[in-house]
Amino acid sequence: MAAFDYAPVIVLLPFLSFLVAIGTAIFARGKNVLPKGGALPGIVAMAGALLLSIWMFVTVEAQGAYDQTLYTWASGPGEGTFTLTFGVLVDQLSAMMLVIVTLVSLLVHVFSLGYMNDEDETGLPRYYAGLGLFSASMLGFVVADNLLMAFMFFELVGLCSWLLIGFWFREPGPPSAAKKAFLVTRFGDYFFLIGVVAVFATFGTSQFSPIGGMEAFPVLAEEALTGSAEGINTFGFDAATWFNIVGLLVLGGVVGKSAQFPLHTWLPDAMEGPTPVSALIHAATMVAAGVFLVARMYGFYALIPTTLAIIAFIGGFTALFAATMGVVKREIKQVLAYSTISQYGYMMLALGGGGYVAATFHLMTHAFFKALLFLGAGSVIIAMHHNENMWDMGGLKERMPVTYYTFLSGSLALAGIFPFAGFWSKDEVLYETLVHGLGGSPLLLAAYAMGLLAVFFTGFYTFRMVLLTFHGEPRSETARNPHGVRWNVKGPLVVLGVLAATAGFANLVPVEKLTGANVDFLHDWLYHGPETLNGEHYSTLLHDVAGYTAADFSVLISAAVSLGMALAGVGLAWMLYNDPSPEEHTAKLGAVKDLWYHNYYQDEFQVWLAETGGLGIARGSDKFDQGVVDGVVNGVSSVSLFSGSRVKRVQTGVVSNYAALLTLGVVVLMVALGLYGGWFL
Amino acid sequence: MVPAQWYLLLAAAVFCIGVFGVLTRSNALMFLMSVELMLNAANINFVAFSLQWGNVTGQTFGLFTMAIAAAEVAIGIGIILVLYRNFRDTDVTSATTMRW
Amino acid sequence: MSLPSVTATLLQSGGALPEWTALAPTLALALTALALLLVDSISPETKNNALLAGTTAVGSFVSLAFSGWYLAAGTGQSGTGGEIVLYGEALVVDGMYLFFSAIFASVAAMVAIASYDYLAGKEYQGEFYALTMLAATGMTLMASANSLASAFVALELASLPSYALVAFLKKNKGSVEAGLKYFLIGALSSAIFVFGISLVYAVTGSLLFSDVAEALGETELVGVAGVGVLMIAGGFAFKTASVPFHFWAPEAYEGAPAPISGFLSSASKAAGFAVAFRVFVEAFSLSAIPEGINWVILFQILAVVTMTLGNFAAATQDTVKRMLAYSSIGQAGYVLIGLAALAGGASSQNGDVMGAAMAHLFVYGFMNTGAFLFIALTEHWGIGRTFEDFNGLASKAPMACAAMALFMFSLAGLPVGGGFFSKYFLFANAVFAGFWWLAALGAINSALSLFYYSRVVKAMWIEDATSEFEIRSKPVGLYAGIMIAAVGTFLLLPAFGPIIETAQTAASALFGA
Repeated sequence: MAAFDYAPVIVLLPFLSFLVAIGTAIFARGKNVLPKGGALPGIVAMAGALLLSIWMFVTVEAQGAYDQTLYTWASGPGEGTFTLTFGVLVDQLSAMMLVIVTLVSLLVHVFSLGYMNDEDETGLPRYYAGLGLFSASMLGFVVADNLLMAFMFFELVGLCSWLLIGFWFREPGPPSAAKKAFLVTRFGDYFFLIGVVAVFATFGTSQFSPIGGMEAFPVLAEEALTGSAEGINTFGFDAATWFNIVGLLVLGGVVGKSAQFPLHTWLPDAMEGPTPVSALIHAATMVAAGVFLVARMYGFYALIPTTLAIIAFIGGFTALFAATMGVVKREIKQVLAYSTISQYGYMMLALGGGGYVAATFHLMTHAFFKALLFLGAGSVIIAMHHNENMWDMGGLKERMPVTYYTFLSGSLALAGIFPFAGFWSKDEVLYETLVHGLGGSPLLLAAYAMGLLAVFFTGFYTFRMVLLTFHGEPRSETARNPHGVRWNVKGPLVVLGVLAATAGFANLVPVEKLTGANVDFLHDWLYHGPETLNGEHYSTLLHDVAGYTAADFSVLISAAVSLGMALAGVGLAWMLYNDPSPEEHTAKLGAVKDLWYHNYYQDEFQVWLAETGGLGIARGSDKFDQGVVDGVVNGVSSVSLFSGSRVKRVQTGVVSNYAALLTLGVVVLMVALGLYGGWFL
Repeated sequence: MVPAQWYLLLAAAVFCIGVFGVLTRSNALMFLMSVELMLNAANINFVAFSLQWGNVTGQTFGLFTMAIAAAEVAIGIGIILVLYRNFRDTDVTSATTMRW
Repeated sequence: MSLPSVTATLLQSGGALPEWTALAPTLALALTALALLLVDSISPETKNNALLAGTTAVGSFVSLAFSGWYLAAGTGQSGTGGEIVLYGEALVVDGMYLFFSAIFASVAAMVAIASYDYLAGKEYQGEFYALTMLAATGMTLMASANSLASAFVALELASLPSYALVAFLKKNKGSVEAGLKYFLIGALSSAIFVFGISLVYAVTGSLLFSDVAEALGETELVGVAGVGVLMIAGGFAFKTASVPFHFWAPEAYEGAPAPISGFLSSASKAAGFAVAFRVFVEAFSLSAIPEGINWVILFQILAVVTMTLGNFAAATQDTVKRMLAYSSIGQAGYVLIGLAALAGGASSQNGDVMGAAMAHLFVYGFMNTGAFLFIALTEHWGIGRTFEDFNGLASKAPMACAAMALFMFSLAGLPVGGGFFSKYFLFANAVFAGFWWLAALGAINSALSLFYYSRVVKAMWIEDATSEFEIRSKPVGLYAGIMIAAVGTFLLLPAFGPIIETAQTAASALFGA
């Protein structure tokens, strides 16, 4: 297993680049020590990590998965205690994710040369240190082999997002956006933390898969539900009920990180950060972490249909909800932000709908096309001298063809147009949900309907964005003479553009259904994981424990319907905006536009909620703290000090008094004990 | 033979006289003498009950007590001397710089 | 074969060494005292501080080494044939004796090293060290006493040099006053103690612990025996500075030379507990004593009153040294739980509670001595005595102040030093033994103690200096003493396991006998 010995190095390489960059930032301030402000160490580290990840991928294919405890940092003696460890789990899922994360991160590093270095930004070592730590945290999260370790890296990811979103901390917007991102995701993470503790309290372990002497909590949960578990503490609840509670607690962290309703509000604000960071956050690291976590412990979620239905419903709702808001946005990055929320909604929908492979597939394709779109948007933003308003653009098609065609590839993927990547994965998401919904879970059908409707909106806003940005006549002076971009911008765009067009071929389920050719590679890949961590096991669990059954329904009809919806959206956008000087057609929506433009007033609502509810409770607690708690504490302390000052007066300084008190003490004790013991009888 | 309880009463009486002296006399030397009285009350017990029990343990211990009392006095006199040098007095109640 | 088992065959039980060598920890201290007296009589005016302090420290370390070696090799412990009884059963060598000897020797070593600077330029140094060693000898004998006679003699051997040491600064009014008060209360207490012994002798006809226990079981003179037991408890209460025999302590600790304050409040107190543990477990054993003589209740009262009075009085002090003096009374209250949380019958909890108390004394020996040595350092520098005088001291002497902060927090029971575990085990074992209310009172008092301990830290580290410090030098000896104490306090946090095991094994052996 020589290859796997290098698995920790994947995490350590970006961490090393972080150390190098932060060391430079601290010890050589203002001096240009590192070439390219720290980009080169980062690029080298990420390239190394990418190569290692590919090696891991190949090795997993050849030798199967790897799970190894590296360091036990706390262990209790004897029975009934917990062992807390750091371990590395490289199986099919995490190997795939490693490749995605390292690839996107590498491209983001390269792109940053164009976006940050060429624009003469200051504080570059700090920026690259953040990128390095961000990548390292995410990679650590991906290879974590237990829930507690995953939680730690999950939190590190949150910290890094705070650092990077607030990179331009001298401006007013970014620090506040960074705080919002941190606080909102932290809010979800509180539930996650309680969930981790609950998992420990329930199962005594948080391993994802059995290793050494440690059992895995999904396996224990399965045994509990099939009636052969021992030593599981469900705190007086029915096992299934309790597992639902635990699952929902962990889901809190997922909803926060993956920006699902109602904790999605941080993500659009996070656009204040540098665009490459947005690409990293949206495509491969932070937001992906939530969905990946559910996939990682799918063996647990597959046991609890109620939670699955909730996940699916949240996902479907978020997909639609975010897509509608994307329709009316003026800024290119805002549109992309809402599209991210919406697309992660699809992944949640797939997970909830029993489509483990579909979710993973969409996670992969989305990583490529969303990174592409953000980097493309970054390229446009460079060209537009950091003006992000689409109404000031137009006609960029001729002036920046590389960006245009790659961006178009990404947009087609996002909209789900045949044969781009997004088509295959989104289609599979919807298909899985539909067949399981038809198989006897009507709630899934509602979620499916929302997801399907969102396809239309996705097609519309995507091509509204493309048309406004690249087509028509330039609507401003900068759009007429855009700033050029160099190879370091175009290179990543081309790589991702090709991937966005072709990544879908990893799992051609409809083609397989049609022709019988064995081309569902990803499906096969994920079905050959470790015993308790593979797709086949999950589908058995879904069927046997959760009671999901798949109805027989043609994949072609489903694909045709969703493609039709997407084309309708694209077509409408084409009709309205393919115009040399397009109008603001969304204004015709009237009140609905206002509602969408202001994000359903979710921010206002949550602020109101915090101010009325939160502040009220806070004031009450403050009163209680100041009045009752402090009162008691102060009272106790002043009574203590007062009695202390009285008590010490016994010590008069006159030794004769001491002798007298001493004698008195002995006499009192003698009398007391004598009476008690009957000495004088 | 005198009954044992009389010895106990005698010893207790001597002990109480000693305690009385400790409590009422402020002269350091008188304080010391009173303590000696208390020690000798113990010696009465030891010697009397040595006879009562028919072993010499008590009498031996009486000798120990006297020796240690002598050592105690030696130290005590030394301390009283420096007390006199510092406070110009052998009154134990005069040294009250530290209290509370 | 492991090292201890090799050496075990060399030891007394194996017949390779004569039995009296089991007392080597005591003998080393006694010989050091005699050697110092010899030096002192040959050249009474000598101010060769290095020689004197060095001899004392070496003697202490030799004694410590013997204790450690014997503890590891199993001398006098159940593994190698049980306790070794010497000199007509007057003395006994067992795990408890060795454990306490290790405490006394460590404290004596630290005090000797620190005194190197503290005494620089003062007269009668030879006597100072000789008296310290004699007192330490007496303390080890207290821990090994197996008869009331040897207990009394050993107690006086520890006390009499202490009186002289407290009054050592002959021209300092405070020192003399402290010595006077200590001496007078001590004389009164020892008179009460002897009278108690005489009463017990009157009832039982013997002074040997085992005979006393046997005779007490059959006696009808419960009242006389009860008064005797109470008075003997008084003698120990004086040594341990427990209420109502504590009156000497605040003044003696405040007025004495600071190293001596540390010596008395750590080692002398531990010695009092050592002899009290043995006397009350062996001579007044709960399984044999008449029901009317309920000394457990007596110690419960003493523990509660002592810890409460000590802590409350400490909270309102203005000078740091006197605060430490009162806090030392409060700490004695915690240790008294070791006697107060005992239950009749052969309960295995008894050994655990008492062992925890012994372990607390062990840790206390380091952290409390260290705290007083820090006071010695400030006295050496001529810094004032109040809390305010310490303001901003950390900026001038960060190392020493960091050590002092460690001592303070460890004394309060925060997990920065061994004091955390020792207090935790003490309270936890009290709870296991069913005396949760004692543990609760102890915990409340600890919370109060955090207030006044942290005042010192706050003054040193947070407050700004109100006056200029004139720190002329960094005395090597005092610093070394403080650092030994600090390292010891800190290391006892991770290394607390062996200490508590040794202590509880030793205490359980006492109950098993």
